[in-house]
Amino acid sequence: MSLPLILCLIATVIPVFFGKIGAAPFWLGLQALALGWITLTRHHELDVHALALGLEVLVVRAWLAPTLLRRALAGSAVQRQELMPSNLFAWGVAISLIILAFKFGDGARADVRALTLGVVAATVMIAFLVLSTNQTPAAQLVAMLFMENALALFESLMPEPWPLPVHLSVSALYVATVAVGSWLVSGPSGVLVPHGDAMEEDT
Amino acid sequence: MSTPLPLSPDTARPAANEAPVQAHSVVSAALVGVAAAFWLASMLVFLTLPLEQLPLYLARRYLVLDATSLLFVMVVNTVFLGISVYIHSRERTSRVLKQDIRSRAGLVLLFMLVINIGILCNHLILLWILIELSTLCAAPLVARGNAASPKGVAWRYLLYSAMTLSITFLGFMCLAQSAQLRGVEISFAVDALGHALTSGGDSWQRLGFSFMLFGLGGKLGLAPLYAWLPETYEAAPTSTSALLAAVQFNISVVAVFRILQVFHGVEAHMVSQELLVMGYVSLVVAAVQVMAARNYKRLIAYACVSSSGVIALGLSVGKAAAYGVVLYVVSNAFVKSLLFLTAGRMRAVYGTNDVAPLSGVIRIMPFSGLLFTVGIFALLGFPPFASFLAEMLILSGIVQAGNLMAFTLMCVMLTVIFVATGRTVFPMLWGAPKREAPPSQETWLTTVPKLGFVGILIMLGTYTPDAITRLLREVAQSIGG
Repeated sequence: MSLPLILCLIATVIPVFFGKIGAAPFWLGLQALALGWITLTRHHELDVHALALGLEVLVVRAWLAPTLLRRALAGSAVQRQELMPSNLFAWGVAISLIILAFKFGDGARADVRALTLGVVAATVMIAFLVLSTNQTPAAQLVAMLFMENALALFESLMPEPWPLPVHLSVSALYVATVAVGSWLVSGPSGVLVPHGDAMEEDT
Repeated sequence: MSTPLPLSPDTARPAANEAPVQAHSVVSAALVGVAAAFWLASMLVFLTLPLEQLPLYLARRYLVLDATSLLFVMVVNTVFLGISVYIHSRERTSRVLKQDIRSRAGLVLLFMLVINIGILCNHLILLWILIELSTLCAAPLVARGNAASPKGVAWRYLLYSAMTLSITFLGFMCLAQSAQLRGVEISFAVDALGHALTSGGDSWQRLGFSFMLFGLGGKLGLAPLYAWLPETYEAAPTSTSALLAAVQFNISVVAVFRILQVFHGVEAHMVSQELLVMGYVSLVVAAVQVMAARNYKRLIAYACVSSSGVIALGLSVGKAAAYGVVLYVVSNAFVKSLLFLTAGRMRAVYGTNDVAPLSGVIRIMPFSGLLFTVGIFALLGFPPFASFLAEMLILSGIVQAGNLMAFTLMCVMLTVIFVATGRTVFPMLWGAPKREAPPSQETWLTTVPKLGFVGILIMLGTYTPDAITRLLREVAQSIGG
């Protein structure tokens, strides 16, 4: 169980320190693969419910959402920008937050649980850090998706898996965030494009 | 001497000459039809189902029909009906709306569906997801506004929402941590979460509760996370501003009520302190900003921040002001809808949200001017409107609870807001007109929903039918401790 968690943590930490925004769909896909791995191994028996959940994570989070994000970023100069400004201060804060996140998780005093809570907390903290250090809407969108992956991972802390309606809602939320966020940050009238003209009517 | 006024760009003419650009489409009529069906269904449930039979659990206990959900389903669907009639009537004179009606109606319907399910939700995490989904439905509607960069405004709205809801999510994590440390299994179903709580003053639990309230406070527009609200309400199309202020606001209120119901009596002191601080700061921020506002939509938006402050102060004293808070929340939904929809008419005629070019609105637009005046008086808590009664009940509750500091601050800030609003709005309404134009003709369709809102506000402030009083009392008891 700890191997996919470590993979999930790597997919969260590496892009923040070394990744460009253009590579974010890959890292989000990797996070999703780790999530799928955790979902499938969490269930003692590979029943229909577990299989459906694993499949949903893989299709929606590992394939659909990264594809949509990649399309939204295609051709944009933002792709070459860093996800988090690369300076010593930001790095120092990020490392401190990760350590604090694992300190938070350690309170549970159970190995896998502590590690899971630590990864969830680290992902949320890193997402907050990206939101506060990078004003590029595309980077902020990636941070929001990190946050939603943390929510999906949080589920594995529950004694019982979330029922299907909650799962479907979480997935719908993820896809809707990517779709609406991509529409807002990209295109000829996206957030990145300066506008001088107001729309003519109020309705 | 009268000077020319920058007129609405779509017409470059006063409202009196606002000829119908095209006939109504089937889509907007269908929107009204669906809104009427939602409203009728909610009223039918209210009229046929005795309160004693509640709560009713539905869909494997994921949904619950109790006093809280019944009250808010009725309120949001009544507001939705009014807004849909407004959209239908505006479609005749707005080219932009006519071209865009399909996607806009679709998004509004999706938004309302999510809101209705959210209000009925019996699971905190599902409710959290549905609030965020409603934000994702509303963001494209906000992006159809008239700001210089409407997508930028919509993006910031989405971002703030994600931030505030992430703080709420941190709260869930802390509660899970608290339960795990005590060896208790935790479920986030509203009717089951209480079993995982302890009254022993667990610090993780306290932190979790604190985060949840703080995050949802941001969705309500409470300081310090209020910055999204004035910008969004100002820049969004008027019908969207009304949806956000009167409908989405209420799903966030339901979430706060659910949390208070779960934590019933647990961590009461901390709840009180946190709500007090957020209420104080919100009232002060709103008073300062209302003084500086020179834009009527922004002024209404800051008045919404002050309303959230009053709600927070009322909730902070618990039982003593609970009935007043519930009545205030309900009346506020209608006040905000009335004001935003009337502001939309003014924007359509004058082509600006600024107060400066507007003067003598009541002569150019007698009906809208009068309704805006009525809305402002209701907003400021004048009799015979429900907001007057609600504010009196909240103030009396605060005095009963012995919190004279909150009483004084609320009185002072509401007085400042009253003076500042009057100074800005009254010359705009009753000053000498800056242009010569015949009075605007308004169709009955435009005025009916607003008159309906005024009627409800007067009814709730003067004579409330027994059935509604009992429903309000049930909700008040559930949050009052």
